[in-house]
Amino acid sequence: MYKFFLYLVLTISYLGLAKALSPSEIGVQYLQNEKGFAKILKDKSVSVILMDTHTTGFLIKTYYQKYRVISNYDNIEEIIVRTSREFAKKNMPNIGLSLYRKLDNKEEFLPVPPGSLYIGNPEYGEWRTTKSGTVKWIFWKAYKDFPKYFGWGKWRPTEPFFQGLRSSQSIGQPYYGLENEFGRNGRITRENFPHFFRSERSKQISMKDLLIEYFKENF
Amino acid sequence: MAEIFDRLVIRILLAGFVCLMIYLYRYAHVIFYPSVKRQVLKKINPAENPADALHLFARVVGIAIIFSSVAFNETSGFVLSLFHFAVWGSISIVLYLLSLYIVESIVFYNFDYTDEILKRKNMSYAVISFCHAIVIAYLTKTVMMEADNSIVILLVLWLYMLVIVGFSVKYFTFVTKLSFNRLLIQKNLSLCFAYGGFSLGAGIIIASCFDQEHYDITVYCIQVLLKTILSLIIFPIFKKGIVYIFPIKLGDGHEGTVDLDRQSIGYGFYEGCVFIAGAILTTMIVNRIQFGTIYPFF
Repeated sequence: MYKFFLYLVLTISYLGLAKALSPSEIGVQYLQNEKGFAKILKDKSVSVILMDTHTTGFLIKTYYQKYRVISNYDNIEEIIVRTSREFAKKNMPNIGLSLYRKLDNKEEFLPVPPGSLYIGNPEYGEWRTTKSGTVKWIFWKAYKDFPKYFGWGKWRPTEPFFQGLRSSQSIGQPYYGLENEFGRNGRITRENFPHFFRSERSKQISMKDLLIEYFKENF
Repeated sequence: MAEIFDRLVIRILLAGFVCLMIYLYRYAHVIFYPSVKRQVLKKINPAENPADALHLFARVVGIAIIFSSVAFNETSGFVLSLFHFAVWGSISIVLYLLSLYIVESIVFYNFDYTDEILKRKNMSYAVISFCHAIVIAYLTKTVMMEADNSIVILLVLWLYMLVIVGFSVKYFTFVTKLSFNRLLIQKNLSLCFAYGGFSLGAGIIIASCFDQEHYDITVYCIQVLLKTILSLIIFPIFKKGIVYIFPIKLGDGHEGTVDLDRQSIGYGFYEGCVFIAGAILTTMIVNRIQFGTIYPFF
C-alpha cells in the first residue's frame, strides 16, 4: 500500500511538473467556449475567423484551433489556441466562418460568414450597383484589404445575402450564405482557405497500401 | 608516407601520455583513499587478495572509460592538445574519485574499506564497489561530454548527477527483497549480483536522461529531472512485468527455506538481470519514442 501511494505521488508529480514546464503549455491559451474570446482579445473592435483545426493525441485528444484575428483598422494576426472538445466539435463545420465579433464592446457569438460585422455599416462601406445591375457591398478605400483578410476572393455580399444574414441572426441560427458558399462545404471557403482542405489532409489510405508503403520505405 | 608515419608517432606519443596520466591517477587515488597507500604504491598480488585486486582495477577501468571522453585536437597543435588532455584529464580524475568517495560513503555508511577488503577480503563488497566504479565512470563521462569543455556547466551537471545517483542508490531498498547490510556482512554473493545489476541499470537510466541536446542549462536540467521521474514511473512496470512473465520458485514448503533461497547466488543473478533488462527497456520507453513536434504548428 505504501509503495502504491509512493508511485501515485510520483506519477502526479511528473504530470504536474511536465504540464508546468511543457513547451506546448507555454504561450498557448485555453479557450473553453466562445465566451472566452473576450479574455484573449482585448481590442475594442475585433473579428475572429476560424482558419484551421488540429487534433493531437492517441487516446486522450487535445484540440487546437487557428484563428485569423482582424482588429481595429488593419491589424491582422493569426493565433493558435487550445480548445475544449465540445467547442472544437461544435465548430468543425464552421471553417472559414467568423465565430466571434466585437464592435464598441458589443459582442456577437453566432457563426456567420467573415466580415458580416461590417456589412451594412456606412462607416466601412456602401451598397453599390455594379455593371451587371446587382447591388453589392463595397468597402471604402481605407478598408480595401478587408475582403482579402476575410477570405472572400472575388465574391462580394449582395443585398439578399445581407437579408439572409439578418434573418439568421434574428433567430440565432448559424449562417452559411444564400447557397452555402461558406463553411466546411462552402465554395468560397474552399477556395480561400486551401490549407485546411489540402488533398493529403483528407487522403484516405487503406491498410494494404499503408503496409506496402511501409515496406518500400524501410526495406 | 612521411605524413602517415608522423601520425603514427603522434598516436604513440599520445598513448604514452595517457599512460602517464594513469600513473598520476595512481597517486591521486592515494589522496582520496589514504588508508590504501600501502596497497596502491607497492606491487599488487591479486592471488593474495582478489577482492582488493577487483576493487583497485575497477577504478582503472573507470578512469579508462572517463579518458575516452576527452578528445585530442591535433589541428590546434600537439602541445596544446596535450595540455588540453592534461587539464581535462586531471579534472576528470578529481571528479571521478570525489564521486566515488561520496557514493560509497552513502552506500557503505556502515562499512569500512580497510575492514571489508583488506582484512575480511569481502568479495561481495568488492563486486559492489566494482559496479560503482564502472557506473560512476560512465556517468562522469556522459556529464563531461555534455559539458562540452565548459567547467561551469561541468560542475553544475556533476553536482546534479551526484544528487540523482545519491537518491537512486537509496531506491534499491524499495525494489529488492534482500537486506543490504545484513547480507554484506555475511559476504553474500547474491546481494552483490542483485545490487550490481541494480546499479548498472540505474547508471544506464541516468546516463540516458543526461544524454540529450541542450542549448539552455536550466531547460536541460528540467528535462533531465522530468526524464528521471518518468523513468521511476516506467521502471516498476517492466520489473513487475518481467517477474510476472518469468515467475520463479522460491522454497519447497519448509519454514525458512524461502529466505535462504533468496540469499542464493541464483536469486542474485535473477534480480540483477531483471534490473538490467528493466532499465534498458525503460530507457527505450523514455528516450526512443518520437512524438514529433509538441508545439501545434499547423
